[in-house]
Amino acid sequence: MSDVQTAPVEDVRTDLEESVSPDRPWLVIVWNDPINLMSFVTFVFQRLFGYSKEKATKLMMDVHVKGRAVVSSGTRERAELDVYRLHEHGLWATMEQSG
Amino acid sequence: MAFASPIRRRRDGRYTVRLPAQVRSMLASLSQQMVPMIDSEDPAVTRLFPPAYIGDDTAEAEKQYRNLVDGALHNHQHQAVQVLSETVNADTLTADELSGWLSAIGSMRLVIGTRLDVSEDMEKPAAGDPSESEHAVFDLLGMLQATIVDVLAEDLPDEGQPPSAL
Repeated sequence: MSDVQTAPVEDVRTDLEESVSPDRPWLVIVWNDPINLMSFVTFVFQRLFGYSKEKATKLMMDVHVKGRAVVSSGTRERAELDVYRLHEHGLWATMEQSG
Repeated sequence: MAFASPIRRRRDGRYTVRLPAQVRSMLASLSQQMVPMIDSEDPAVTRLFPPAYIGDDTAEAEKQYRNLVDGALHNHQHQAVQVLSETVNADTLTADELSGWLSAIGSMRLVIGTRLDVSEDMEKPAAGDPSESEHAVFDLLGMLQATIVDVLAEDLPDEGQPPSAL
């Protein structure tokens, strides 16, 4: 790590970028919304991710009761694709790197 | 005797659709209204294109995501509405067509529900309320969505399966 006292701005920025480690997986989060039907949300989780009915129902209930649930995780590209597919189905999905 | 679902799977894999003419004409009319809305800046339509990144310092990532997917997401919406409007009077549908119906009907519900500011514990509007008819449309779309989900879910194995390609 460079000397903090003399570090130019660019170095600080590099440190910040390196702190976003590629090792930490990206999490795909689905948020509760008042419009989508519970059966529809369960169906989307089964269909997109191949989850069992039991797992999909549990995730749906987490979204419904806790307000959000992590529905998948992986590389940034994988997470972005999952978010996109959830957006295609009208679900309110976001992604963030696990902390 | 149980109420017969208006949409049922046949042995050959197609789906029989039995809906009143008024419901079909309502779907046709909503489809027509959706086409120009999908590409509009209507605030209710933005619900169909939610952000992928929220929180601090995500503006650049969100911009890149939008550049990457917005065209495809708009196409997806247009295709679903087109499938619904082209097959709205059909007596039978393929599984793909029924998925198009599900997608288009879901989007219509999102737009109307957003416009009505629907909440989970919301009460029905009083008789004579100006939003009464829009609420009725919203409820009907919900019933259709639930029916289609039930019938398509029959084809999904309870124990799960490898993720689908799309």
